[in-house]
Amino acid sequence: MKRKSIWLVLSLIVLLVVSGCGNKSTPTSSDPGASGDVKTVNIGYTGPLSGGGALFGKDVTEGLDLAVDEINAKGLMVNGEKYRINLIKLDDQYMPDKAATNARRLRTEFETPVIFVPHSGGAFALQQFNETDEFLIMAYTSEGKVAKTGNKLTVQMTTPYSLYPEVYSKKVMDKFGKKLALIPTSSQYGKDWSEAMIPAWEKLGGTIVANSPVDYNKEVDFNTYVSKALAANPDVLFVGGPSQPTAMVIKQARQLGFKGGFILMDQAKVEQMEGVIPLTDLEGAVCLTPVYLYDSPGAKPFVERFKAKYNGKVPAWESSKNYDNMMLLAKGIEKAGNVTDAAKILEGMRAVTPFNDPTITAHIPGIAEGGGSMTPGTGIMIENGQYGKQFSIPNPADTTKK
Amino acid sequence: MKSTNQSSKVKYIAYLGIFALAIAFPYISPNRYYLTVVTLGFIYAIAVYGLNLIVGYLGQLSLAQAGFFGMGAYTSGLLSLKLGLSFWLSLPIAAAATTLLALLVGLISFRTRGHYFVILTLCIGVIIHLVIEKWDSLTGGVRGLIGIPIPTSIGPIAFKSLESQYYLVLAFLILTIFVMSRIASSLVGRTFKSIRNSEELAATLGINVMKSKLLAFGIAAFFTGIAGALFSSYIRFLGPEIASTHLTFEFLLFLLIGGQATIAGPLVGTLLASAITESLQFMQEYRMVVFGALLILIVKFFPGGLVGATKTLKAKLEKRVNQGKKSGTNLPSKGESHAAKNRGFN
Amino acid sequence: MDLLIQQIFNGFTLGSIYCLVALGLTLIYGIMQVPNFAHGHLYMVGGYVTFFMMTLYGINYWLSAIIAGVVLAVLGILLERIVFNPMRNSPSTNKFIAAVGAMMFLEAAARVLWGSDFRSIPAIYDNVVMIGGVRLTEQRLIIIAGAVILMVALYVFLKHTLIGSTIEAMAQNRDGASLVGIDVNRVAMLTFAVASILASAAASLSGPIFLVYPAMGSLIIMKVFVIIVIGGMGSIPGAVLGSFILGMTESLGATYISSDYKDVIAFAILVLILSLRPSGLFAKGGH
Repeated sequence: MKRKSIWLVLSLIVLLVVSGCGNKSTPTSSDPGASGDVKTVNIGYTGPLSGGGALFGKDVTEGLDLAVDEINAKGLMVNGEKYRINLIKLDDQYMPDKAATNARRLRTEFETPVIFVPHSGGAFALQQFNETDEFLIMAYTSEGKVAKTGNKLTVQMTTPYSLYPEVYSKKVMDKFGKKLALIPTSSQYGKDWSEAMIPAWEKLGGTIVANSPVDYNKEVDFNTYVSKALAANPDVLFVGGPSQPTAMVIKQARQLGFKGGFILMDQAKVEQMEGVIPLTDLEGAVCLTPVYLYDSPGAKPFVERFKAKYNGKVPAWESSKNYDNMMLLAKGIEKAGNVTDAAKILEGMRAVTPFNDPTITAHIPGIAEGGGSMTPGTGIMIENGQYGKQFSIPNPADTTKK
Repeated sequence: MKSTNQSSKVKYIAYLGIFALAIAFPYISPNRYYLTVVTLGFIYAIAVYGLNLIVGYLGQLSLAQAGFFGMGAYTSGLLSLKLGLSFWLSLPIAAAATTLLALLVGLISFRTRGHYFVILTLCIGVIIHLVIEKWDSLTGGVRGLIGIPIPTSIGPIAFKSLESQYYLVLAFLILTIFVMSRIASSLVGRTFKSIRNSEELAATLGINVMKSKLLAFGIAAFFTGIAGALFSSYIRFLGPEIASTHLTFEFLLFLLIGGQATIAGPLVGTLLASAITESLQFMQEYRMVVFGALLILIVKFFPGGLVGATKTLKAKLEKRVNQGKKSGTNLPSKGESHAAKNRGFN
Repeated sequence: MDLLIQQIFNGFTLGSIYCLVALGLTLIYGIMQVPNFAHGHLYMVGGYVTFFMMTLYGINYWLSAIIAGVVLAVLGILLERIVFNPMRNSPSTNKFIAAVGAMMFLEAAARVLWGSDFRSIPAIYDNVVMIGGVRLTEQRLIIIAGAVILMVALYVFLKHTLIGSTIEAMAQNRDGASLVGIDVNRVAMLTFAVASILASAAASLSGPIFLVYPAMGSLIIMKVFVIIVIGGMGSIPGAVLGSFILGMTESLGATYISSDYKDVIAFAILVLILSLRPSGLFAKGGH
């Protein structure tokens, strides 16, 4: 008799599993109920929405949402028919396996031809099956390998970090000296950056006097690491991770008497650090140009629109790059005249580049072979307590200029 | 005696039904997403069966399980990626390596008891996680391992499609359940249970407590290692986060929802919790609020989990029915409910 | 040489924070045999309360810290009443699982309520002081001084007040304590309140330099467990000593051995100690 209960429970479970999976009740989507003559195209997103990465995920989705709002206000014209974009966001907590599950769900349940994923682990996991399942990966990661796997349906949305080290190094080396100490975050991103940083610095004739990576997300007190790095008397510190902890590292370095310059990894955004520490602490820092200062016709209006939508929040590049690429995607879909075929949509996107729409923040010259980004890099130095003149770094992947 | 016959009949019909359902699942539901969720659920369930053996039967809370899962996954992933070994070689090696590690861990940690044991295993889990994360040159560190090959075909059977991978995982799951139910009803299983009830008593009965504990720990790790290896060839990408304590807690949650010290519990709990997680996807933030509270409620009110609760309920019903039949004679029904209660731990 | 002094000082700062959290944890364990896995999360909530008092209501730093202490005392008592008191007769495994549940709940609740952002408690004591060639900020000195004052206060409370001595009595002999008429329930609540206040104080003191965010609880709880296991669970001197041993190990280990494997060192020490002495260094009697 006892096994009967197991059976009972099991059938109950199966029922629950099926009904649970079949639960289509709106995941977070911006769908106000489509009107009769407007058709809908679903676009997917899998990224961190909860847990430690939620903050980053929010920056990304805010940019995407703003783009979707603006696209839908006008309507997307595909083959003479009016469409609207419905962005479906699923949470993967930064986990590659969850990203893969989400992607399958997005593809089968919502038939999304395109999926945005803002981390390289998720992008790699998706690349294992996106060609057979026929969806386009829009990867927001500066890990260069994503565009080198030979995957035919991947677009990398950001400038690879490899552009920055040499130019940034030169700027600070000229001003402060040749001794560099590294205190980057110990994430994958931090390690990649350090690996590019060290040879670039040495090539310019500099020396590395200390290298102590520290997990910016997990370490309680940075003082130990900063003290250790400063004991080697560096002229320049290479720091960076999430913005707020980075600000703490810089503050503690100043308190411990450091007078030199900083190279900031592009993950740390000065616009987010300004609120935590005074700009004077950042004296001599070379970093990514804040979006609101970026020299392009679209940047300032974008920042204003973003602030209007999100209670005065200042957008960083996570938001603006995702916004730009959603805009590019929309144009690509219109050009392709197709809302289902990922390959055709990618062709459409390639066809509309160079993409220089006045709404976007940064010009997109094209999509390189393998999906790599062609967008040039940007940088700025903080001098005399204020931002200096920004500079552009040409992207060698940009083949359109030849 | 008639009732035993009947019950075994029902039992076999039930088994057959579930088995048929599992076999037919990819055809009933060709939805690739459901298939992914269920396959992943099966993989985790194998690991949860391992945890069940230690927590449920042996009564020792080991929090190193995610570490063992990571060990299995990374061993198999590295062997197939760096040495080009076939999955059919890397899987048993991974399982063996994980078992070996577990025996080593067991030798140290079973010297301690109670809370010390729990915290020690937790720390060992953290160490395994940290070593995977920091040993860049071998494991790829935080970057992880990319492009682990799918299982190589055996003769005409290839494992390229999602369906075939589902069946592969299902086969391992059935093997796991089979072995676990055999252990549970064997002398060894009873030894484990007697240790759970009282170590001192078990020792006076002539049981070698340390040896038995090590045995359970090793078997559990063996299956956890298999689960890890399956995971690596299924997701084909490994990051150190799969060895983090976060996953251990998740396993624990699966086990407690389903019911510890039961054979159906781990599978039921894992599938149910995965289904809930998936259907509540869009309110992830609240998910852990609910699960955290749920965990407390379960250990307080339903320490036997869903399966245990169903059994208790059934025993009560039976008792009432029996009371109705044999109005007045209280003794037999009492005996039966007692028996049902005992079975609850089978 | 300066580096060594600097790092010893850093180890002391770190050890002071660990110590305040560890004292509460070991106190709770001593009285109730409960490994309060959620203790780090009480520390986290303490940080948030201090932060919001200062930024939202503009209340002075010290007053904010006191308010946080009061709020946390209430939260601690609630935790004892709702989660641990009903489980006092359950097997230890179940208590542990309930504690894990409470931990998950608190962290998720913090994320839902306050988001995952890093916050920093406005630093008012940010000036740099030079002591023997070492640069320190005032806040770091305040942390160490605050921890010492609270440790002394705890000692006086436990040894020289009537109400505190009930805790002591119960830690030493539970049955005996209830025989002489000590209300077990009241002592349990009191213990949780005191432990939560200590955790909250740790967060208020460290907030200006350590940042406040939901995951801070689960990061510190692992370390604090290492500490009280090394010191012997339930042992107060053990917790104090363990805290400073770990703080020093971390700062010196990161400097002179490897910053990558620093955390591994701390956990490996624990494994080593427990394999040699299965009940910790300062275990009270046998098992």
